[in-house]
Amino acid sequence: MARFHNKKKAFVKPVVKKQSVDHVTGDKIPKSFVFSRGKLPSSLRHLEMDLRKLMLPYTALKLKEKKRNNLKDFLNVAGPMGVTHFLILSKTETAPYLRVARTPQGPTLTFKIHEYSLAVDVAQSQLRPRCPPELFKSSPLIVLSGFGTGDQHLKLTTIMFQNIFPSIDINTVKLSSCQRIVLLNYNKETKLIDFRHYSIRLQPVGVSRRIRKFVQNHQTPDLRNLQDVSDFITKAGYGSESEADDEAATVNLSSDIGRVNKASTKSAVKLQEIGPRMTLQLIKVEEGLCTGGVIFNEYGNEGGLIKQKDQAMEEED
Amino acid sequence: MDTAIHLPEKIEGIKKRKSRRSKDRKERKRVKIFSGTGGKVKIDKKMKKLFRKRAREYNSDDDDDEANPEVGEANTRPLEEFSVGNSSEEEGIDGSDPDAVEEKGDSEDEGDRTQPGITKFTEGCRAFRVAFMKITKTNVSDNSLGPVLSAQKRLIAKKLAEEEAEWKSKGDAKKEKHLVGEKGHVKPANFLDSREKFLISVATKGVVKLFNAVNKAQNAQKGLNPSRFKDAKALGKRQKEAFFSELRKPSQAVDPPAKGDDGPAWAPLRDSYMLTSSKLKDWDKMPETTVGNDMDGIPLDSSSDSSSDDD
Repeated sequence: MARFHNKKKAFVKPVVKKQSVDHVTGDKIPKSFVFSRGKLPSSLRHLEMDLRKLMLPYTALKLKEKKRNNLKDFLNVAGPMGVTHFLILSKTETAPYLRVARTPQGPTLTFKIHEYSLAVDVAQSQLRPRCPPELFKSSPLIVLSGFGTGDQHLKLTTIMFQNIFPSIDINTVKLSSCQRIVLLNYNKETKLIDFRHYSIRLQPVGVSRRIRKFVQNHQTPDLRNLQDVSDFITKAGYGSESEADDEAATVNLSSDIGRVNKASTKSAVKLQEIGPRMTLQLIKVEEGLCTGGVIFNEYGNEGGLIKQKDQAMEEED
Repeated sequence: MDTAIHLPEKIEGIKKRKSRRSKDRKERKRVKIFSGTGGKVKIDKKMKKLFRKRAREYNSDDDDDEANPEVGEANTRPLEEFSVGNSSEEEGIDGSDPDAVEEKGDSEDEGDRTQPGITKFTEGCRAFRVAFMKITKTNVSDNSLGPVLSAQKRLIAKKLAEEEAEWKSKGDAKKEKHLVGEKGHVKPANFLDSREKFLISVATKGVVKLFNAVNKAQNAQKGLNPSRFKDAKALGKRQKEAFFSELRKPSQAVDPPAKGDDGPAWAPLRDSYMLTSSKLKDWDKMPETTVGNDMDGIPLDSSSDSSSDDD
């Protein structure tokens, strides 16, 4: 037990305030650990940090891992802390790999990361990057598209990702707490999954740009060249190009969000990318936590294994 | 012979110094080293020497001999005279010059001991050499790399080339390692290409779906499953809030949801408001997008409400 305590010191102390059971739905809130196996180069360490931020608030942000910790140690701590999922990053010469596993003996999905971009890269590529800290106070929504209902392993993937993030009850959810969204888009031809992370912003529709900026920024406008205040309000500013696209993206809000978006008025949903961007390929699905029988293997090696299983079952019969 | 040497005893010390003057430099070294270890006494000695030196200078050149009565006496300073004599004849003499200068160096060191061990000519003091060479007007070649060899330049070039090759190979190895580590890391483009736009639109559709569903569910909440104990409190809270908001804004009339969802009279309440013309006409029937939340458990029409009412 002393050894167990020594290793436990390295982990984040459980925070008493955090709820483990969702008050409304009654389900257990899923928590996750994001860590790495083996030594990672610096950019992958940044990716690990980005993934941790993505999984906030139900993850250990400052999880400390030592070289001597192996999977069993994490499992031992996961039990008492109520951690349900592991996200494990590792690297070989060919590519980095991401494994998503459900504790304590759940299935493990192994993804090969073909390409990735860090959050700082994304922010640098944008004109006006936006990442206020209160984005991470609530967990993100998740959107899965293109998976279809066919294959077993794809179904398993969708279920797994749906369960990683806490579910929301639309009767009681506050729209102001839905601020982030994670998108997983499956491309049937290339069998690649695009992983994106966006921030949600609501903008009132039908309000001219100047008035909106004025209300949001609280800055007194420059009225030098105007004869009358009405000029300021009614001046036909150029319409934003994306106004036309927003037709489909408008929503009626049920409650007030912020100062500008009032209930039962139209607002446009604007997404801006934050966070890491990844291109994943599902390689392997295993029954156990990084062990166990292989349910699916991209490269078909387990074809023999399944045949053996079938033969064994036939023999039993 | 330790720290016991003080000013009144200087004569004895001087005598000792005198006797050593003719001995080897090594022994003088020893004296110097020794004088270095004694703390205060060293300073005192130094100060003594300094004062003597100043006195000497003040008393002008001719009085050198007289200013150093302790240091030099008639029979004890033959070398000094010799060196003084030599110094006047330096320019002409080559052979004996080094010796003379050495002696001079000695005597200088002897007479002026403010800085023991710093300007020792035989230890390779370059400045001294430079000064001497200037006087004798010979060329001073600067060879920091060592003695002059015939093929010096080629040697230097070879060594530099070797070093550079070594650094280069190390740099290459590091670069390769770095590249392998960065494999897969791409920097996104500054603009939004079509793929990214498509993905953003997919995500936006999902968000819109969710928000609309939330809107519907939360507006249609009144009269909704009061039998469910879990939701009773939240429900009551929401009803209170809605009631108060209604009180505050009597002008903005919220259409009573009791009308049902089947066919609200007012156009904006209908599902297909604003969506008839766009591509999203039947967006809830599109097989692609699923919002992975409890939405699946709550179908968008009110069948669940009716079923729970029956409970």
